[in-house]
Amino acid sequence: MVRLTINGKLVQAAEGEMLLSVIRREKIDIPALCHHEAVEPYGACRLCMVEITRPEWDGWANFVTSCLYPVEENLIVSTHSPKVIELRKTIVDLFLACHPNTPEIIQLAADYGVTHTSYEEVPEPDDCILCGLCTRICETMGFKAISAVGRGHGKEIAPPLGEAPPDCVGCLACAQNCPTHFIKFSDRNGVRRIWEKDFELMACSRCGRKTITREFAESLSAGRDIPMEYFEICDDCHRMETSRTMGRIANWSREVQP
Amino acid sequence: MNHDFGKLPEIFGRYDQSPASLIAILQDIQREYHYLPKEALRETARWLTIPLSKVYSVSTFYNAFSLVPRGKKVIRVCVGTACHIRGASLIQQQFESMLNIKAGQTTPDREHTLEVVACVGACAMAPIIIVDEKYHGSFSVSNVRKILKAK
Amino acid sequence: MRIKDPQHLSKVQKECRAALGKFPKKVIVCCGTGCLANGAAKIVTAFEDVLSKRKVKGFSIEAVTKTGCHGFCEQGPLVVIEPQGTFYTRVKPKDVEAIVEKSLAHDEILEPLLYSDPSNGHKIERYNDLPFFSMQRRIALRHLGKIAAHSIDEYIADGGYQALAKVLTSMTPDEVIAEIMASGLRGRGGGGFPAGRKWRTCRDVVSDVHYVICNGDEGDPGAFMDRSIMEGDPHGVLEGMMIAAYAVDARQGFIYVREEYPLAVTHLKKAIDDCEEVGLLGDNILGSDFSFSIRISRGAGAFVCGESSALMRSVAGEVGEPRAKYIRSVVKGLYDKPTVLNNVETYVNVPLIIDKGAEWYTSIGTPSNTGTKVFSLVGKVRNTGLIEVAMGATMREIIFGIGGGIIDNRPFKAVQTGGPSGGCLPESMLDLPVDFDTLTEAGSMMGSGGMIVMDDRTCMVDLAKYFLSFLVSESCGKCVPCREGLYQLHAMTVKVSEGRATEADLEKMEKLSEMIILGSLCGLGKSGPNPLLSTIRYFRDEYLVHIREKRCPAGVCRELITYEINDKCTGCMACISACAVNAITGEKKQVHVLDQEKCTKCGACYAVCKFDAIEIH
Repeated sequence: MVRLTINGKLVQAAEGEMLLSVIRREKIDIPALCHHEAVEPYGACRLCMVEITRPEWDGWANFVTSCLYPVEENLIVSTHSPKVIELRKTIVDLFLACHPNTPEIIQLAADYGVTHTSYEEVPEPDDCILCGLCTRICETMGFKAISAVGRGHGKEIAPPLGEAPPDCVGCLACAQNCPTHFIKFSDRNGVRRIWEKDFELMACSRCGRKTITREFAESLSAGRDIPMEYFEICDDCHRMETSRTMGRIANWSREVQP
Repeated sequence: MNHDFGKLPEIFGRYDQSPASLIAILQDIQREYHYLPKEALRETARWLTIPLSKVYSVSTFYNAFSLVPRGKKVIRVCVGTACHIRGASLIQQQFESMLNIKAGQTTPDREHTLEVVACVGACAMAPIIIVDEKYHGSFSVSNVRKILKAK
Repeated sequence: MRIKDPQHLSKVQKECRAALGKFPKKVIVCCGTGCLANGAAKIVTAFEDVLSKRKVKGFSIEAVTKTGCHGFCEQGPLVVIEPQGTFYTRVKPKDVEAIVEKSLAHDEILEPLLYSDPSNGHKIERYNDLPFFSMQRRIALRHLGKIAAHSIDEYIADGGYQALAKVLTSMTPDEVIAEIMASGLRGRGGGGFPAGRKWRTCRDVVSDVHYVICNGDEGDPGAFMDRSIMEGDPHGVLEGMMIAAYAVDARQGFIYVREEYPLAVTHLKKAIDDCEEVGLLGDNILGSDFSFSIRISRGAGAFVCGESSALMRSVAGEVGEPRAKYIRSVVKGLYDKPTVLNNVETYVNVPLIIDKGAEWYTSIGTPSNTGTKVFSLVGKVRNTGLIEVAMGATMREIIFGIGGGIIDNRPFKAVQTGGPSGGCLPESMLDLPVDFDTLTEAGSMMGSGGMIVMDDRTCMVDLAKYFLSFLVSESCGKCVPCREGLYQLHAMTVKVSEGRATEADLEKMEKLSEMIILGSLCGLGKSGPNPLLSTIRYFRDEYLVHIREKRCPAGVCRELITYEINDKCTGCMACISACAVNAITGEKKQVHVLDQEKCTKCGACYAVCKFDAIEIH
């Protein structure tokens, strides 16, 4: 057990836990755009930065990203100190300069009192905030189909060689977790299209809906030793089947009980 | 563009078959073909058993690599601080305007590639340009035309 | 032939010395990059040609030694005759015949090739008498210009690997670390972190694997210290790494060399191969339990890879994206194993500290900044080159003493230290003693040792814009404050240089800088605003002139200057042929006319005019 102070309140945390998880547990709301529980923390957006100090530091403070900083005994954390607020304002202001038309960014900036950017708008802005969530999630899923291309201001997320990514299976994990919905996809006429690659959607043998691509199903089947027949039924129908079975068991146990 | 990719196994053979060899392999490919052909990148990903997306990511991150073929004559303008103080930016701009390309690009006729490099360690001869490995020290912006005209 | 143990090493040393002593005279040809760029290779060929035709008693081509950089790049190509130390400057291939005839076959000096003291025109004959060298203290550079860069024999003859032998036979790893700590050696790459303390922390991490890495990335533009050391004294670097590896229990080492240094890679590779052949690298070195091997890892062109965590990712074949330093790389570094990463110059000091003792090292420099520092002195200084002085020497001694003052006697304006992470110091700070701490206090930093000297024709706004432009193109792009913040900061300096900025912009730049320093993930971003902040601190007036008067006093910012032809024009038409856009018209022997509409301010006419007829307004 580690004891530390957050915004003046004494809290407990587990050894090795990151500050952000404790902060969230305390229901304190700080933004963390590049963070996702399912992947390793990245520390790119810097919005989750907090001010920390220790009793023996004589008032000197450090600023760290809470997503990556492990708890320490007697740490004193301030999530909304004046400098931290100023930093968050600057970051959302910089975001607005490169994403002036992105609703999520406009909203985030408004939360910090920034309505227009005080900087020069970049030429040809888009919605990608380069948080890296898509590539990190894709890597954690095991496909590593897309990656960051180039570096610095001109960096982009793209499939390799500018062609349809050979390793993509159309699982949509990237698109579903993109904070600004920048990654577009379409499901039309039994075909899913994402990253300019087409995938065949499998129709559920029970309800006929098309929710999973054949490629994704095949990779799950091979990777986890599950027969392909399993994927011929969609998740919803599987759930329906399971709940019916549970219902039958409940009824049976009621009948058996005197 | 047709290439003889028969050289690739020999290049691969120089290094351990492990992800750490990626950058060295790409450098050797760059040296051999004067750029990184797509098929060579695919072969490299296959041989090292790493995702193509990673090979592409590394190829586009570092300055040394070019994904488009370089020109016959490669002109490098040193823009290190010592050269900058002695007028390197004027030299760069002059080359750019006379070749009608920006630094990092190759002319459409594939004759010239213009690059900037930050410090080649010959600061006593600043400003310096390197044309195909030949150093031209104490270079003057008025010499740009001469260099471009030379064969 | 394998060197079996320390006794065998001493025997080999005697043999190498005897072999070198065969020739009473030796000719040293400087083959540092500067001299090579100036034609040193042709000089070596000239010696080969001349000596093949003319026999000189007691001399042969074997005694022509190609060494690393002497540091006096301004005067290259350099040839030195040992043991007298006769120092010949600006040597051309056609001079070689006379050198062989007069200085080798006989003992005559060739006056025209001697260095001429600019203050009185006197010729100086010997290396040791040249103020450029006598004012230096060459420790890290001890072998440069003295021994053949690629020869393990000459290194051993000069006492090489005796420090390693001493460590392996009579010191425990803890004792080695204690000695380095006592010496006060601080990281020469710029961080200035105590090397001994770094080694201690690394050793204390319980792990099956420890790594030792040498940072040869030297990304600061204008810095070529590490390059010269890697090229000119590769064994010195290797021996330092071996001692560090013994201290932290590492069995594998890497030297990360920047892509732009192919000669350094070649020389280091030869040195490693030679060491492996004689058993100084590999298993059971010198008959001890210590086994160590070194590989070269080449950079591929990314300034950010000079940052330790990015460098380690690059060694592992990844993109050079740094990671937050809350868990330090000395604890979890390469492949998450404890790793010591030190700079080239740091390692090359180590064998000498072991040899002569920590106390000797602390007698040089200042108490908290012991030893010496190598600087690359470049820019508008007369004696451009590589120098080494004890810590605590003043800027004035370095720039005006060793450096010989400003070219053309123009007024000194500022000196930039620490590269893109450092800052400028104005004339008022010339008597500042140079060391890690004083420079940081003054708003700059020591950095790797690049020292750019500037005169009144350098615009400080343009300089800040230049550094920011460099950093924007080198940023890895991971974190927002650096990627977007430096981009916007650069855009604002462009505004100032084009006369479109307001005073509010100046304040905005200062505030944004503060946030970038606070919020950036790694050192590139954190120190990125330094050049801007230090130029604003010491040259605020210059910024204000750009803003209020839309004028560039140094005559650099293109939007704010015009080129004009005055009445000194003799009508020689040189500028007309130099002008790429045909902005100048005129007949022979008539004053030319410059069309402002067409002029692109490229400066070609200014460069070519011999009559001072072109003015910058």
